[in-house]
Amino acid sequence: MSFKLSEEFKTKAAHICARYPRRDAALIPLLLELQAEAGFVAEEAMDALAQYLELPYSRVKAVVTFYTMFNRAPAGKYHLQVCRNISCHMAGAPGLLARLRGKLGIAEGETTKDGLFTLSTVECLGACGSAPVIQVNEDYFENLDEMKLDSLLEDLRHGKHPLKR
Amino acid sequence: MPKLTIDGNTVEVAKGATLLEAAQQLGVYIPRYCYHPKLTVSGSCRMCMVEVEKSPKLVTACSTEAADGMIVRTTTDKVKAARKDVLEFLLINHPLDCPICDQAGECSLQDYYMAYSLAKSRFPQGDKARRAKRRAVGPHLVLDNERCILCTRCVRFCAEVTKTSELDVMERADHSYIDLKEGKALDNDYSLNIADLCPVGAFTSRDFRFKTRAWFLKKTSTICLGCATGCLIEAHHHENAVHRIVPRPNAETNTWLCDHGRMTYKAVRAGDRLAKGVIKNGVIDLEPALREVASRIDEAHSAAAVLGSPWLSVEDNAALSRLAGDALKTENFCFDFTAEQGIRDGILINKDPAPNTAGAMLLKAARGGLTLEEFSRRIGAGQIKVVVTEARAAAFIKDVVKASGARLIVFATNKAQIPAGAYATLPYASYFETPGTFINHQGLRRRAEPAVEAQEGVKPLWEMVNKLAVYSGTSLRLHCAEDALKGINF
Repeated sequence: MSFKLSEEFKTKAAHICARYPRRDAALIPLLLELQAEAGFVAEEAMDALAQYLELPYSRVKAVVTFYTMFNRAPAGKYHLQVCRNISCHMAGAPGLLARLRGKLGIAEGETTKDGLFTLSTVECLGACGSAPVIQVNEDYFENLDEMKLDSLLEDLRHGKHPLKR
Repeated sequence: MPKLTIDGNTVEVAKGATLLEAAQQLGVYIPRYCYHPKLTVSGSCRMCMVEVEKSPKLVTACSTEAADGMIVRTTTDKVKAARKDVLEFLLINHPLDCPICDQAGECSLQDYYMAYSLAKSRFPQGDKARRAKRRAVGPHLVLDNERCILCTRCVRFCAEVTKTSELDVMERADHSYIDLKEGKALDNDYSLNIADLCPVGAFTSRDFRFKTRAWFLKKTSTICLGCATGCLIEAHHHENAVHRIVPRPNAETNTWLCDHGRMTYKAVRAGDRLAKGVIKNGVIDLEPALREVASRIDEAHSAAAVLGSPWLSVEDNAALSRLAGDALKTENFCFDFTAEQGIRDGILINKDPAPNTAGAMLLKAARGGLTLEEFSRRIGAGQIKVVVTEARAAAFIKDVVKASGARLIVFATNKAQIPAGAYATLPYASYFETPGTFINHQGLRRRAEPAVEAQEGVKPLWEMVNKLAVYSGTSLRLHCAEDALKGINF
């Protein structure tokens, strides 16, 4: 199975590349674009992107593995990212994490069988003022407690995104 | 030109020079892992930190440009403490497998630990981060990620010198490691330089692996005969066996050495090494072989001929020219070799695979002789019936010899060199066993020096020529290689 960059991607990529003085500067934005398309960056996609940007494959792989925000395996529809740094920790993040583990029946780094949720812990999300915080895909859910967390999970399970009604 | 003071001594350096280079100029050694004079500066290992007056923090000598009036100190307590701390950091996850590590004895971690640290580790052995142990990553290298200190010299070498960019640092923080594409081999023509570059035992040579300990090796400065570039090398040997070849960096030709050149020593101890003569396909003792060859030459009289070789030293070619001029007394000799010269890949490998084309041409200028064209024509016309030459040079006249049925008598070091249809083969000592002068493609005259002794009975080519002449009734009076050059004006 060979991976091919879609024409749609290439059009977008050309726009993105044009923003930068050097082609290799577009590496991270294009990786984000790939991740937005597929939910993760596949090994074959790195290869294709390396060829597209005329970069060595090892360079692309090094960047992907350096940044933890790039998923290297398919993630669930909702990627729950629980902050584990000090502000959130003191405001109750460990309790939230334990609750999520229990309710979803998975550990950090795992995905539920229905493919709906992936659970991970992340470093500071930069929203200490409204700790504890969970990032779901691109959105922040702040000042959480167990009740809010439960209703958030319920909403997501039923396909309702609390921030996008 | 900035003028600065390092440890109380003033030095003036070129603009743009770093503190490390300035210190080097003064003979002050600053320890380093990631710095390499021929690679870009990365400043990642932090080993070269020095104190600069009025700078609040220590600075890395490898990446700080020398400025006018700087006062640098490299031996203060602050610097010593920093070196100790950096070493502690680097050694946190380093496995203590020195007893089975090929790098032991020439390892910067060992050396600097002894020189700058000597501290007992505060980290229990069991808490060390584990990474992938030995695995072959290509035809010449073994990678042990656990020993790696992430100096990235290898990464930069592949990116900047060979421009193949196979390697990079994967992951981050304490789980980062050097890796290449899965399933891909680290197979460029210069990969073994990485084993030299690696300051620790992460990249080691598959060829040298477990052969001998580094401290047993004796070093002989000589030259590489892998091609016309004629790189300066050091042959490392122990108990009369060469174990590896490393480059001797010099401004004229080479900093690095290609993998092909590094493997040239293999022929010295190869299983097909010749110690006796070969007549047709039968191995016979040297003396009867010489007698046989001499009688074939005498038989042919003036139809005997000598062809020099760009693979032989100037002295040995000169000995061959004497064989033609003084013993055979024939006009039929040729030292006319032309091959396109020049670096083929932009790094080191030459278009001309023979090491001494320039040397042979010099001999032609001094001694005359036929052009290769005329020489071939005479073989074809039956005017030459016996040709004495070196095995690889026989390729120049291969077709015409085959067509005319002339007898081919060759000198060879290894059986694999013997050309098809050779009538007789005489052994000679390789240039790892005997000295010789070679002239590289730049016209630089360089000496091959013997690193090991030849097997009993295997003599240098000039000595074989001398013996051959005696058998056919003339003494060339060659007592050493240089005798062959007497009376030849270069």
